Amino acid sequence: MAEVARSNWADAEEELPSPEVIENKDGTKTIISYRLNDAGKKVKVTQKIKEIKITEKVHPDVARRKKWAKFGAEEGTAPGPDFRTTQVGEPVYLRLGTQWKVIEKEAEEKQKEESKKASVGQGIRCRLCGGSHFTSKCPFKDTLGADIENASGTPEPSAASPTPELTKTTGYIAPHLRNRNKDEFAEKDLSVEKEESSTLRFTQINENIDEQTFRDEVLQRFERVIRRVTLVKNRETGRSKGVAYVEFDTPEIAQKARDALDGRGYHSLILRVDFSKPRAPR
Amino acid sequence: MRPIMLKGHERSLTQVKFNREGDLLFSVAKDKSASVWYSFNGERLGTFEGHIGTIWSIDVDSKTELAVTGSADFSAKLWEVNNGKCIKTWKLKTPAKRVEFSPNNDKLLIVTDQVMGEKGTITILPINSNFETREEQTDEPLLIIETAEGAEKVTVAGWSYAGKYIIAGHSNGVVSKYDAETGELHKTVKVHDLTITDLQFSQDKTYFITSSKDKTAHILDVDTLTIMKTYEADAPMNSACITPVKNFVILGGGQDARDVTTTSSKQGKFEARFYHKIFEDEIGRVKGHFGPLNYVAIHPNGTMYASGGEDGFVRLHHFDKSYYDFKYDVERTAEATGAVEVKTPEITA
Repeated sequence: MAEVARSNWADAEEELPSPEVIENKDGTKTIISYRLNDAGKKVKVTQKIKEIKITEKVHPDVARRKKWAKFGAEEGTAPGPDFRTTQVGEPVYLRLGTQWKVIEKEAEEKQKEESKKASVGQGIRCRLCGGSHFTSKCPFKDTLGADIENASGTPEPSAASPTPELTKTTGYIAPHLRNRNKDEFAEKDLSVEKEESSTLRFTQINENIDEQTFRDEVLQRFERVIRRVTLVKNRETGRSKGVAYVEFDTPEIAQKARDALDGRGYHSLILRVDFSKPRAPR
Repeated sequence: MRPIMLKGHERSLTQVKFNREGDLLFSVAKDKSASVWYSFNGERLGTFEGHIGTIWSIDVDSKTELAVTGSADFSAKLWEVNNGKCIKTWKLKTPAKRVEFSPNNDKLLIVTDQVMGEKGTITILPINSNFETREEQTDEPLLIIETAEGAEKVTVAGWSYAGKYIIAGHSNGVVSKYDAETGELHKTVKVHDLTITDLQFSQDKTYFITSSKDKTAHILDVDTLTIMKTYEADAPMNSACITPVKNFVILGGGQDARDVTTTSSKQGKFEARFYHKIFEDEIGRVKGHFGPLNYVAIHPNGTMYASGGEDGFVRLHHFDKSYYDFKYDVERTAEATGAVEVKTPEITA
């Protein structure tokens, strides 16, 4: 195959003018040759060459052996190294020295660090100094860290808090709420309470009752002012747990509904109705 | 330094060897052909075709006219180096594990393996190196040294200075010395705990280095078989050679071939290790192979070394200037003061 390709290439060459060699006065040579480039256009190549003869003295046997014809698998191949069998490898380094292990280790660690930097790079930013490392690993943690903690850390329970409810519910404070001033905080908390108070929690419902039946038989009177009804079910079996949450339009209606329904007999059980408590902090 | 990678073999290398002038490099592998390369540029001169099994060993005579190969196909073959023609095949009872010409080219040593109920031997054959009649070789051995009763099999062997002795390494770590003429056993010394994998002589063949699977290499004196130096490595060693010009030794080896798949190339320790011959310190390593090094050989002028690996590549390294410049501090100071000391007796004398 290679030979065929070669002859085609040679054919193309014949159409081009043969290379010209001009001997310059200063001992250099100028070679002007023509070839076709990838686009099929003729290109003129001018090369200026200086020939330097380097004489290397070798053993006469070695010189003789250099002229040997190739044999075996290499029979008939062109002189010079064949890239299929002879390739130049990646450079390797031989650093001689009794401390070579130490030097090698250092170089290795340096490389590791660099690759680490390259991979992490922009992703991490220290909150203290702005450097590309975790805040906990900041070298200025001791000096800068204290201020930041005072400024943004969770308020201490002993610190004067206006409402007792607040201290009760401060198990976890979402990051975006941490720096709010305390009045706003209290207000927010109250509004949550308010919203919750329009929901009633029904317990001791007969477990055979499904949501629709419950709606029809118990909540018929309040049908128009109910926002939603949720009957709690066992996730696996799908059976009712006998608990339902009903949200009404306003706390007032909820209060009325509670008055009307609490203690009422329903399917041989006595209904208990409370205001739903805000979810216990986890 | 940029190594030249020689990819002429399809399977793991078993031996690489320079000729006396160092311009040619011979390599054999577990495939069926041996290769000859020009060492200065890595060009392949040719291949020796004819074996039908793993070639375990190759050697070339000091005139670079004849080469010999020992193979697992129960034969050893003699070749003309300049054209790759096989001129003689010796049939053997077991695979030939090691072949070597005597220093004056008139004899050939073949180590035959101890398998299939056959005793391992060191067979010595006469070689007719006359250029005109060299195709006439005899089948009759001069001497057969059988492995002594109770001794473990011979794995490697070589000729000492002037072809006077034959030094053999055994699979239980014993080194033994035989008279090359009579085959008489002179001495045995236990130097290694495990099998001896290689045995290479210094240039003057008065001392030699052995490498072993027990992760050490030793330099021993031919006359007394005493351990002169010990080099400790962290992996089984497959080969060792003594560098001319600089006082170094090169060790090659690594994790066993069968364990290679279970270790990373870094853990495998597939590196050529340079030790200082005198101080026994490890002074450097050269990486590159993907498998253990099966053989390391040094150019007779100490300008380059070649390593053949389990990965099927030969890597040919031409040393940089820093290699020649390296000296211990004590060496430098000794040279500085020693230069004075050497001169003074000359003047007084």
